[in-house]
Amino acid sequence: MTAKKQPNRILLLGFPGNGLIGTFTISYLISHLQMKLIGDINHPDLPPTLFVENGEILSPIRIYRKDDIYAIISDIPIFPEVAYEFVSSVAEFCRKNKIRKVIVPSGVDTQSTDSKDAKTYGLATDPSLEKIMYENDMPKFLAGSIIGTDATVISIFRNYGIPLLMLYTSCHPFFPDPQASVFAITSLAKVLQIQVDTKDIQKRIDYLRIQHRNLMQETLDVLQQEKQPQTKVPPIYR
Amino acid sequence: MKKNIEFHNNHVFYFEDDLEQRILSPLSCIKEHESKWVLEFDLPLVDKKDISVFVDSGIITVEAKLKETYCDEHRKSCQYEYFKKSLTVPSNVDSDKISAKFVNGRLTVVLPKITRGTKIKIED
Repeated sequence: MTAKKQPNRILLLGFPGNGLIGTFTISYLISHLQMKLIGDINHPDLPPTLFVENGEILSPIRIYRKDDIYAIISDIPIFPEVAYEFVSSVAEFCRKNKIRKVIVPSGVDTQSTDSKDAKTYGLATDPSLEKIMYENDMPKFLAGSIIGTDATVISIFRNYGIPLLMLYTSCHPFFPDPQASVFAITSLAKVLQIQVDTKDIQKRIDYLRIQHRNLMQETLDVLQQEKQPQTKVPPIYR
Repeated sequence: MKKNIEFHNNHVFYFEDDLEQRILSPLSCIKEHESKWVLEFDLPLVDKKDISVFVDSGIITVEAKLKETYCDEHRKSCQYEYFKKSLTVPSNVDSDKISAKFVNGRLTVVLPKITRGTKIKIED
Protein backbone atom coordinates (compact mmCIF):
# COMPACT_ATOMS: atom_id res chain seq x y z
CA MET A 1 0.00 0.00 0.00
CA THR A 2 1.38 3.41 -0.94
CA ALA A 3 0.45 6.65 0.73
CA LYS A 4 -1.34 9.10 -1.53
CA LYS A 5 0.86 12.11 -2.21
CA GLN A 6 -0.61 15.27 -0.71
CA PRO A 7 -0.64 18.32 -2.95
CA ASN A 8 1.92 20.94 -1.98
CA ARG A 9 -0.37 23.93 -2.32
CA ILE A 10 0.91 27.45 -1.73
CA LEU A 11 -0.97 30.70 -1.24
CA LEU A 12 0.58 34.04 -2.16
CA LEU A 13 -1.10 36.95 -0.42
CA GLY A 14 -0.62 40.59 -1.40
CA PHE A 15 -2.28 43.75 -0.10
CA PRO A 16 -1.29 47.43 -0.01
CA GLY A 17 1.32 48.36 2.61
CA ASN A 18 4.79 49.96 2.76
CA GLY A 19 5.87 50.96 -0.75
CA LEU A 20 2.94 48.91 -2.14
CA ILE A 21 5.39 45.99 -2.31
CA GLY A 22 2.73 43.33 -1.70
CA THR A 23 0.41 44.65 -4.37
CA PHE A 24 3.10 45.13 -7.02
CA THR A 25 4.68 41.73 -6.35
CA ILE A 26 1.56 39.59 -6.36
CA SER A 27 0.01 41.51 -9.24
CA TYR A 28 3.14 40.85 -11.30
CA LEU A 29 3.21 37.15 -10.40
CA ILE A 30 -0.48 36.73 -11.31
CA SER A 31 0.16 38.29 -14.69
CA HIS A 32 3.48 36.51 -15.27
CA LEU A 33 2.14 33.06 -14.36
CA GLN A 34 -1.11 33.74 -16.23
CA MET A 35 -3.12 32.70 -13.21
CA LYS A 36 -6.87 32.21 -13.59
CA LEU A 37 -9.41 34.23 -11.61
CA ILE A 38 -11.40 31.78 -9.50
CA GLY A 39 -13.24 33.97 -6.99
CA ASP A 40 -13.33 37.06 -4.83
CA ILE A 41 -13.68 38.15 -1.22
CA ASN A 42 -16.35 40.60 -0.11
CA HIS A 43 -17.15 42.24 3.19
CA PRO A 44 -20.05 44.61 4.04
CA ASP A 45 -17.64 47.07 5.69
CA LEU A 46 -15.37 47.37 2.65
CA PRO A 47 -15.87 50.51 0.57
CA PRO A 48 -18.21 49.76 -2.36
CA THR A 49 -15.66 49.54 -5.16
CA LEU A 50 -15.64 47.53 -8.36
CA PHE A 51 -13.31 47.64 -11.35
CA VAL A 52 -14.23 47.05 -14.96
CA GLU A 53 -11.58 45.63 -17.24
CA ASN A 54 -12.41 44.83 -20.85
CA GLY A 55 -16.07 44.84 -19.85
CA GLU A 56 -15.50 42.35 -17.02
CA ILE A 57 -16.59 43.37 -13.51
CA LEU A 58 -13.89 42.68 -10.92
CA SER A 59 -13.97 42.86 -7.13
CA PRO A 60 -11.11 44.64 -5.40
CA ILE A 61 -10.07 41.48 -3.51
CA ARG A 62 -9.68 38.54 -5.85
CA ILE A 63 -8.52 34.92 -5.77
CA TYR A 64 -6.42 33.41 -8.55
CA ARG A 65 -5.05 29.94 -9.16
CA LYS A 66 -2.63 28.10 -11.37
CA ASP A 67 -1.96 24.45 -10.57
CA ASP A 68 -0.88 24.32 -6.91
CA ILE A 69 -0.28 28.06 -6.58
CA TYR A 70 -3.11 30.23 -5.30
CA ALA A 71 -2.93 34.01 -5.07
CA ILE A 72 -5.10 36.50 -3.26
CA ILE A 73 -4.64 40.16 -4.11
CA SER A 74 -6.28 43.26 -2.71
CA ASP A 75 -6.32 46.45 -4.74
CA ILE A 76 -7.70 48.40 -1.79
CA PRO A 77 -6.11 48.93 1.64
CA ILE A 78 -7.33 46.55 4.34
CA PHE A 79 -9.06 48.70 6.94
CA PRO A 80 -8.29 47.83 10.58
CA GLU A 81 -12.00 47.18 11.20
CA VAL A 82 -12.06 44.32 8.68
CA ALA A 83 -8.48 43.04 8.94
CA TYR A 84 -9.25 40.28 11.46
CA GLU A 85 -12.24 38.93 9.54
CA PHE A 86 -10.45 39.26 6.20
CA VAL A 87 -7.39 37.33 7.34
CA SER A 88 -9.52 34.74 9.16
CA SER A 89 -11.49 34.14 5.98
CA VAL A 90 -8.22 33.67 4.09
CA ALA A 91 -7.05 31.17 6.73
CA GLU A 92 -10.37 29.28 6.41
CA PHE A 93 -9.89 29.27 2.64
CA CYS A 94 -6.45 27.71 3.17
CA ARG A 95 -7.87 24.98 5.41
CA LYS A 96 -10.68 24.19 3.01
CA ASN A 97 -8.31 23.98 0.04
CA LYS A 98 -5.56 22.10 1.88
CA ILE A 99 -3.05 24.88 1.33
CA ARG A 100 0.18 23.92 3.11
CA LYS A 101 2.00 27.24 3.23
CA VAL A 102 1.39 30.93 2.80
CA ILE A 103 3.88 33.52 1.52
CA VAL A 104 3.28 37.23 1.98
CA PRO A 105 5.58 39.80 0.33
CA SER A 106 5.65 43.11 2.14
CA GLY A 107 7.85 46.18 2.63
CA VAL A 108 10.08 47.44 5.42
CA ASP A 109 11.45 50.95 5.88
CA THR A 110 15.24 50.92 5.88
CA GLN A 111 15.82 54.66 5.33
CA SER A 112 18.30 53.84 2.59
CA THR A 113 17.71 55.59 -0.73
CA ASP A 114 20.17 53.41 -2.60
CA SER A 115 18.57 50.52 -4.46
CA LYS A 116 21.93 48.69 -4.25
CA ASP A 117 21.17 48.23 -0.55
CA ALA A 118 17.90 46.42 -1.34
CA LYS A 119 17.42 43.31 0.73
CA THR A 120 14.63 40.87 1.50
CA TYR A 121 14.31 39.70 5.09
CA GLY A 122 12.36 36.59 6.01
CA LEU A 123 10.13 35.96 8.99
CA ALA A 124 8.76 32.42 9.22
CA THR A 125 6.35 30.77 11.63
CA ASP A 126 7.60 27.30 10.74
CA PRO A 127 11.08 25.71 10.64
CA SER A 128 10.55 24.31 7.12
CA LEU A 129 9.95 27.81 5.78
CA GLU A 130 12.85 29.19 7.76
CA LYS A 131 15.04 26.59 6.04
CA ILE A 132 13.80 27.80 2.62
CA MET A 133 14.66 31.33 3.69
CA TYR A 134 18.23 30.46 4.54
CA GLU A 135 18.65 28.31 1.42
CA ASN A 136 17.84 31.41 -0.58
CA ASP A 137 20.30 33.62 1.34
CA MET A 138 17.56 35.65 2.96
CA PRO A 139 18.51 37.10 6.33
CA LYS A 140 16.05 36.69 9.17
CA PHE A 141 13.99 39.67 10.29
CA LEU A 142 15.54 39.80 13.74
CA ALA A 143 13.90 42.69 15.58
CA GLY A 144 11.44 45.47 14.97
CA SER A 145 7.77 46.22 15.42
CA ILE A 146 5.11 44.96 13.05
CA ILE A 147 1.77 46.73 13.02
CA GLY A 148 -1.41 46.70 10.96
CA THR A 149 -2.58 43.95 8.64
CA ASP A 150 0.87 42.31 8.61
CA ALA A 151 0.60 41.75 12.37
CA THR A 152 -2.94 40.37 11.97
CA VAL A 153 -1.74 37.99 9.24
CA ILE A 154 1.11 36.64 11.38
CA SER A 155 -1.08 36.18 14.48
CA ILE A 156 -3.95 34.45 12.70
CA PHE A 157 -1.88 32.08 10.58
CA ARG A 158 0.17 31.15 13.63
CA ASN A 159 -3.03 30.42 15.55
CA TYR A 160 -4.39 28.33 12.68
CA GLY A 161 -1.12 26.40 12.49
CA ILE A 162 -0.69 27.23 8.81
CA PRO A 163 3.02 27.81 8.01
CA LEU A 164 3.63 31.40 6.97
CA LEU A 165 6.63 33.14 5.45
CA MET A 166 6.67 36.94 5.46
CA LEU A 167 9.13 38.41 2.95
CA TYR A 168 10.04 41.95 3.93
CA THR A 169 11.85 43.89 1.21
CA SER A 170 13.50 47.19 2.06
CA CYS A 171 11.65 50.06 0.42
CA HIS A 172 10.48 53.63 0.70
CA PRO A 173 7.50 53.31 3.04
CA PHE A 174 5.55 56.36 1.92
CA PHE A 175 5.97 56.29 -1.86
CA PRO A 176 5.11 53.50 -4.33
CA ASP A 177 8.36 51.60 -4.80
CA PRO A 178 8.21 49.37 -7.90
CA GLN A 179 12.04 49.32 -7.98
CA ALA A 180 12.07 47.56 -4.61
CA SER A 181 9.23 45.36 -5.87
CA VAL A 182 11.52 44.04 -8.61
CA PHE A 183 13.79 42.79 -5.83
CA ALA A 184 10.78 41.38 -3.96
CA ILE A 185 9.57 39.58 -7.11
CA THR A 186 13.03 38.07 -7.62
CA SER A 187 13.17 36.93 -3.99
CA LEU A 188 9.72 35.36 -4.17
CA ALA A 189 10.60 33.66 -7.47
CA LYS A 190 13.63 32.07 -5.77
CA VAL A 191 11.44 30.71 -2.99
CA LEU A 192 8.90 29.38 -5.49
CA GLN A 193 11.72 28.05 -7.71
CA ILE A 194 10.30 29.72 -10.80
CA GLN A 195 11.89 31.90 -13.47
CA VAL A 196 10.67 35.47 -13.81
CA ASP A 197 11.49 38.19 -16.28
CA THR A 198 11.17 41.62 -14.67
CA LYS A 199 12.10 43.64 -17.77
CA ASP A 200 8.51 44.75 -18.28
CA ILE A 201 8.11 46.19 -14.80
CA GLN A 202 11.61 47.72 -14.94
CA LYS A 203 10.66 49.63 -18.09
CA ARG A 204 7.52 50.99 -16.46
CA ILE A 205 8.86 51.96 -13.04
CA ASP A 206 8.35 55.71 -13.42
CA TYR A 207 4.86 55.25 -14.81
CA LEU A 208 3.90 52.83 -12.04
CA ARG A 209 5.04 55.37 -9.44
CA ILE A 210 2.76 58.01 -10.93
CA GLN A 211 -0.16 55.66 -11.47
CA HIS A 212 -0.12 54.34 -7.91
CA ARG A 213 -0.09 57.67 -6.05
CA ASN A 214 -3.72 57.38 -5.02
CA LEU A 215 -3.49 53.83 -3.70
CA MET A 216 -0.36 54.80 -1.75
CA GLN A 217 -2.09 57.80 -0.20
CA GLU A 218 -5.18 55.76 0.68
CA THR A 219 -2.96 53.08 2.21
CA LEU A 220 -1.14 55.65 4.33
CA ASP A 221 -4.49 57.07 5.48
CA VAL A 222 -5.50 53.59 6.61
CA LEU A 223 -2.16 52.88 8.27
CA GLN A 224 -2.51 56.10 10.25
CA GLN A 225 -5.79 54.78 11.64
CA GLU A 226 -3.93 51.84 13.14
CA LYS A 227 -3.25 52.16 16.81
CA GLN A 228 0.40 52.73 17.56
CA PRO A 229 1.98 50.17 19.88
CA GLN A 230 2.39 51.23 23.49
CA THR A 231 6.10 50.56 23.48
CA LYS A 232 8.46 51.30 20.66
CA VAL A 233 10.90 48.54 19.79
CA PRO A 234 14.08 49.99 18.28
CA PRO A 235 13.78 49.50 14.52
CA ILE A 236 17.19 48.02 13.80
CA TYR A 237 16.70 48.09 10.04
CA ARG A 238 16.55 51.85 9.92
CA MET B 1 -0.37 45.41 -12.95
CA LYS B 2 -3.38 46.48 -15.00
CA LYS B 3 -5.91 46.10 -12.24
CA ASN B 4 -4.07 48.43 -9.93
CA ILE B 5 -3.69 50.93 -12.70
CA GLU B 6 -7.42 50.90 -13.37
CA PHE B 7 -8.07 51.55 -9.71
CA HIS B 8 -6.10 54.74 -9.95
CA ASN B 9 -7.71 55.83 -13.12
CA ASN B 10 -11.00 55.77 -11.30
CA HIS B 11 -9.63 58.12 -8.64
CA VAL B 12 -7.43 60.24 -10.84
CA PHE B 13 -8.53 63.53 -9.30
CA TYR B 14 -7.91 62.50 -5.69
CA PHE B 15 -4.68 64.50 -5.66
CA GLU B 16 -6.21 67.53 -7.31
CA ASP B 17 -4.35 66.88 -10.54
CA ASP B 18 -5.03 69.79 -12.86
CA LEU B 19 -5.98 68.27 -16.19
CA GLU B 20 -6.57 71.63 -17.83
CA GLN B 21 -3.06 72.86 -16.95
CA ARG B 22 -1.64 69.33 -17.35
CA ILE B 23 -0.27 69.36 -13.81
CA LEU B 24 0.10 66.29 -11.59
CA SER B 25 0.28 66.61 -7.81
CA PRO B 26 3.21 64.55 -6.51
CA LEU B 27 3.22 62.47 -3.33
CA SER B 28 5.14 64.05 -0.48
CA CYS B 29 6.01 63.25 3.12
CA ILE B 30 7.68 65.08 5.99
CA LYS B 31 9.70 63.75 8.90
CA GLU B 32 10.74 65.70 11.97
CA HIS B 33 14.21 65.26 13.44
CA GLU B 34 15.75 67.00 16.46
CA SER B 35 17.53 69.62 14.36
CA LYS B 36 15.62 69.60 11.07
CA TRP B 37 12.59 68.70 9.06
CA VAL B 38 13.07 66.47 6.02
CA LEU B 39 10.53 66.92 3.26
CA GLU B 40 10.42 64.47 0.36
CA PHE B 41 8.65 64.66 -2.99
CA ASP B 42 8.24 61.67 -5.30
CA LEU B 43 9.09 62.98 -8.77
CA PRO B 44 9.41 60.07 -11.21
CA LEU B 45 9.87 60.79 -14.92
CA VAL B 46 11.77 63.99 -14.09
CA ASP B 47 15.36 65.22 -14.68
CA LYS B 48 17.13 67.25 -11.99
CA LYS B 49 17.62 70.21 -14.37
CA ASP B 50 13.86 70.53 -14.81
CA ILE B 51 13.06 70.96 -11.11
CA SER B 52 12.46 74.34 -9.43
CA VAL B 53 12.06 74.80 -5.69
CA PHE B 54 10.85 78.11 -4.24
CA VAL B 55 10.29 79.25 -0.67
CA ASP B 56 8.20 82.36 -0.18
CA SER B 57 6.15 83.63 2.77
CA GLY B 58 6.33 80.31 4.57
CA ILE B 59 5.24 78.29 1.53
CA ILE B 60 7.52 75.86 -0.31
CA THR B 61 6.64 75.16 -3.93
CA VAL B 62 8.11 72.42 -6.09
CA GLU B 63 7.63 72.48 -9.85
CA ALA B 64 9.05 69.98 -12.33
CA LYS B 65 8.65 69.34 -16.01
CA LEU B 66 8.19 65.70 -16.99
CA LYS B 67 10.70 64.13 -19.37
CA GLU B 68 7.79 63.03 -21.53
CA THR B 69 4.05 63.55 -21.52
CA TYR B 70 2.41 61.28 -18.98
CA CYS B 71 -0.63 59.75 -20.56
CA ASP B 72 -3.31 57.97 -18.59
CA GLU B 73 -3.23 54.39 -19.85
CA HIS B 74 -6.99 54.02 -20.22
CA ARG B 75 -7.97 57.62 -20.78
CA LYS B 76 -5.69 58.84 -23.51
CA SER B 77 -7.19 62.32 -23.36
CA CYS B 78 -5.73 62.76 -19.84
CA GLN B 79 -2.21 63.98 -20.52
CA TYR B 80 0.16 65.67 -18.09
CA GLU B 81 3.36 67.65 -18.54
CA TYR B 82 4.30 68.86 -15.03
CA PHE B 83 4.40 68.13 -11.34
CA LYS B 84 3.54 70.96 -8.97
CA LYS B 85 2.85 71.12 -5.25
CA SER B 86 2.93 73.81 -2.55
CA LEU B 87 3.17 73.10 1.16
CA THR B 88 3.36 75.23 4.29
CA VAL B 89 6.84 75.29 5.81
CA PRO B 90 6.97 74.59 9.59
CA SER B 91 7.29 77.84 11.58
CA ASN B 92 10.67 77.17 13.19
CA VAL B 93 12.68 76.74 9.97
CA ASP B 94 15.82 78.67 9.08
CA SER B 95 14.85 79.61 5.50
CA ASP B 96 18.39 80.69 4.56
CA LYS B 97 19.78 77.23 5.20
CA ILE B 98 17.29 75.10 3.29
CA SER B 99 18.99 72.61 0.98
CA ALA B 100 17.78 70.02 -1.52
CA LYS B 101 19.02 66.98 -3.41
CA PHE B 102 17.51 64.77 -6.08
CA VAL B 103 18.24 61.03 -6.17
CA ASN B 104 16.34 58.24 -7.95
CA GLY B 105 13.43 60.51 -8.78
CA ARG B 106 12.98 61.64 -5.19
CA LEU B 107 13.56 65.24 -4.13
CA THR B 108 14.71 65.58 -0.54
CA VAL B 109 14.49 69.05 1.00
CA VAL B 110 16.23 69.58 4.34
CA LEU B 111 14.73 72.37 6.46
CA PRO B 112 17.03 73.13 9.42
CA LYS B 113 15.31 74.30 12.60
CA ILE B 114 16.16 77.63 14.21
CA THR B 115 17.58 77.26 17.69
CA ARG B 116 15.80 79.88 19.76
CA GLY B 117 15.68 80.98 23.36
CA THR B 118 17.86 82.17 26.19
CA LYS B 119 20.83 80.06 27.15
CA ILE B 120 20.47 78.70 30.68
CA LYS B 121 23.61 78.40 32.74
CA ILE B 122 24.14 75.04 34.40
CA GLU B 123 25.17 75.71 37.97
CA ASP B 124 28.11 73.99 39.66
